[in-house]
Amino acid sequence: MPSKETVMEEVARIQDIDVDAALDPAEAEGVYRDSRQCAALALAGGQGGVLLSPPTPRPKKG
Amino acid sequence: MEQSGTSTLLKGAVQDLAAGVASALRSGGHGPAGDLPSAAFAADGLAPAAVRVLGADYVLPHVLLGTRPDPAELALLRRAVETYPPRADAAPTVAWSHWAMTRALRRLAPGEAVPAPEPAADWLDTADWRTLTHQLAILAPLALPGEDSAVGRAARHRPVDVARGFVRAVRRRDWAQAAGAARWLTVLDGVPDTLGLDTGLDFVELMGGGDPLVDLQVRAARHLRVGALV
Repeated sequence: MPSKETVMEEVARIQDIDVDAALDPAEAEGVYRDSRQCAALALAGGQGGVLLSPPTPRPKKG
Repeated sequence: MEQSGTSTLLKGAVQDLAAGVASALRSGGHGPAGDLPSAAFAADGLAPAAVRVLGADYVLPHVLLGTRPDPAELALLRRAVETYPPRADAAPTVAWSHWAMTRALRRLAPGEAVPAPEPAADWLDTADWRTLTHQLAILAPLALPGEDSAVGRAARHRPVDVARGFVRAVRRRDWAQAAGAARWLTVLDGVPDTLGLDTGLDFVELMGGGDPLVDLQVRAARHLRVGALV
């Protein structure tokens, strides 16, 4: 646990904090959902329409 | 990448603040100020930065529910606006979030904020649908019915693109972007019925609702879905 002095030093630095980075974040790296989450979406209502649509088929080799 | 202690503290404070706002929306409107770390409050340094990052949504319960803000809340909002103005070379989202805060301040405390001209919004006109959705999600505090802005007009012209972006965000498990896009979709006309927005909102809440920032946008979207501004 940080000491009170450490916390106060951090707070003092926040006076000069650059909030721009928090206000202009890059897009988060995507992690595609798995079948368990698809099932959760189906249970959440079953009318997911586009959300539940199957993925685009991959091109066949050869 | 390891975060600095400062950014970790700020992130935590913003999340605490967002949790307070989401709680106020859920309960029908007590004061939105969350439990910021007491040491930071004592030093009077962290709170304005956290409010600046959360943006106009800091006072969203008052805007949506028609409650009167506490003078201390207004003072904190004003201080955040004054302490963190956008630089001349600031990114559009930085400039627009500041503009949204000044608008909120004007709305809740007429005469206390100097009307500011809208920043440029032409970067959205040329943005592809992925970038559009990403930028709109960051600017979700602007997604309010009956509140005009150039960002809102850009969104209104492209409901299908925002819907596509929402689906992409859900599939990428980017719950913050999905929740922000969903909030925009609740105030846009022409959203395809096949999207399943209500189910999508349920899903985003189920998967990402543990993050107070996601929860706040889901709560806001649900409020906007069922009723207009008070």
